[in-house]
Amino acid sequence: MIEAKAVNFAYHRGEPVINDITCKIEDGEFVALLGHNGSGKTTLSRLFMALVHPRSGDIFVDGDNIEKLEPADLAHQVGYVFQNPDLQILEDTVFAEVAYGPRCKKLSETAIKEQVQAALQAMGLENLADAYPRTLSFGQKRRLGVAAALALNPRTLILDEITNGQDEQEKDDMMDYLQKLNKEKRITIILITHDMNIARQYAKRAIVLNDGNLVFDGTTQDLYNGVRDLKEWGLTQPIMAILSAAFIISAPTVEDFCEKLCLKEGGER
Amino acid sequence: MNETAIKFTNFHYGYINSDIILHNINLDVRKGSFTIISGPSGAGKTTLCKAMAGIIPYYYGGRYAGDVEVLGVTTKGKRVSDLAMRIGLMLDDYESQLVSLTAGEEIAFSLLNHGFAAEEVEARTKQVLMDVGLPGRENYQLDELSGGQRQRLLLASVLAVHPEVLVLDEPVSAMDPDGANALYKLLYKIYKEYNMTVVVVEHNINFLLPYVTDMIVMNKGRVAAQGFFEEAAAMTYAIPELRRNLPELWQVKLNLEQRFGISLRAWRKEAEALEELKEKFVGGALG
Repeated sequence: MIEAKAVNFAYHRGEPVINDITCKIEDGEFVALLGHNGSGKTTLSRLFMALVHPRSGDIFVDGDNIEKLEPADLAHQVGYVFQNPDLQILEDTVFAEVAYGPRCKKLSETAIKEQVQAALQAMGLENLADAYPRTLSFGQKRRLGVAAALALNPRTLILDEITNGQDEQEKDDMMDYLQKLNKEKRITIILITHDMNIARQYAKRAIVLNDGNLVFDGTTQDLYNGVRDLKEWGLTQPIMAILSAAFIISAPTVEDFCEKLCLKEGGER
Repeated sequence: MNETAIKFTNFHYGYINSDIILHNINLDVRKGSFTIISGPSGAGKTTLCKAMAGIIPYYYGGRYAGDVEVLGVTTKGKRVSDLAMRIGLMLDDYESQLVSLTAGEEIAFSLLNHGFAAEEVEARTKQVLMDVGLPGRENYQLDELSGGQRQRLLLASVLAVHPEVLVLDEPVSAMDPDGANALYKLLYKIYKEYNMTVVVVEHNINFLLPYVTDMIVMNKGRVAAQGFFEEAAAMTYAIPELRRNLPELWQVKLNLEQRFGISLRAWRKEAEALEELKEKFVGGALG
């Protein structure tokens, strides 16, 4: 469980980036964190993992105030996967890369092996354990980043633009793995994303930031009912949401939508 | 409009120590077209862009066969700088293409290397910064610009030499949907104003639907479809595994056309699609 209470934050002498944000993310949730570039999404997630600390207000992880903690203290509770996978790769094999975290925690070799294998399996990388990480495809590198975070058995995973730069098939694969982690292992997923389709299809709850303010906190269904104008927050309605709303049907995909349409009497043939 | 800007003839290519990435590419990019290159990851889209600008094979080496012509001239034996006056390239890894401290220097860099006089450099710098929506930012340090602004600066520095052909590889990868829409709107304005040929690689082709005239779809190193957008879209839809590389509106259009044996208009905007859908369909099966 992660809770922010009246949190304010600014970098150095700069403008405020986070303004008085209060929210609570319960265990096992699947949350999309949305907002335009510079809205404060990444900063809020950095506050959640103690990479930066609030100027005022408090952050609680599993009920404990994290004001005195560092990311390493929290790594077994909150895992973070960065936007650029190349920045997170340190080792020469996929196995060693995933083992890096558990090794730093000085776990026994047996425990390390067990945790690494479980993490690789969860992300479909078990057959690539001996591969050189830099030769992996972009999508595989992103999954490696998630596996490395998973190896510390965190309760929460924060993923920054995890589907960026991937094609539709790779996105589906990634999201299916994450959904499985959420459903089967009850790992809380916080997805920072610009991809409105992904948020609509996978997240149950959406938190929207606009210029450092929390402007929406509710179900993705309510956010993407096609009625609300998201432009003022620099966001757009997914096209399929707009089309579905116009016909008052629920259709997450093109196929669903087309199946539910009927040609009008006398429609052109 | 039937002239060719870029022509690939029986072109094959493989990087040093890699398998063949591009297989027997035969394609034409029409002069004056706004062409999008789409396709799954690993299909060879970026490699194709690099071959258009002559970076392949000049810079990367590797093995190749066949020929690439840019504006009637083969890239074979040409240095990248010989081609750079006529074809501008913006890579997806945009940070690696920025080399200077300030925005003005960044733009002047390529102009000075091409031997332009100082007054001309100053005038062009001012103009392109205006064109990309960064007026008066000559003295801004690069780290004062956001990722999206840096992508626009890079576009400005490519535009400054007035290339006839512009090739962009995922130019909005660091932008939110608003920023992406704004950049493409701007690109379209510049394309119209300067009568350019534009080639764009983009995963999310919803952004480009209002502007695109032609499309190339790559799959596993081969050309799967090419031609006017409407025709290439129909060709792509006929290959189920590639359908999702089309804009969602066109997936809907082609799906409904096939399902009901009708023909729908060539939608370019949501509003056009909604209007015709409302005219012809009802939401039958509720749920």
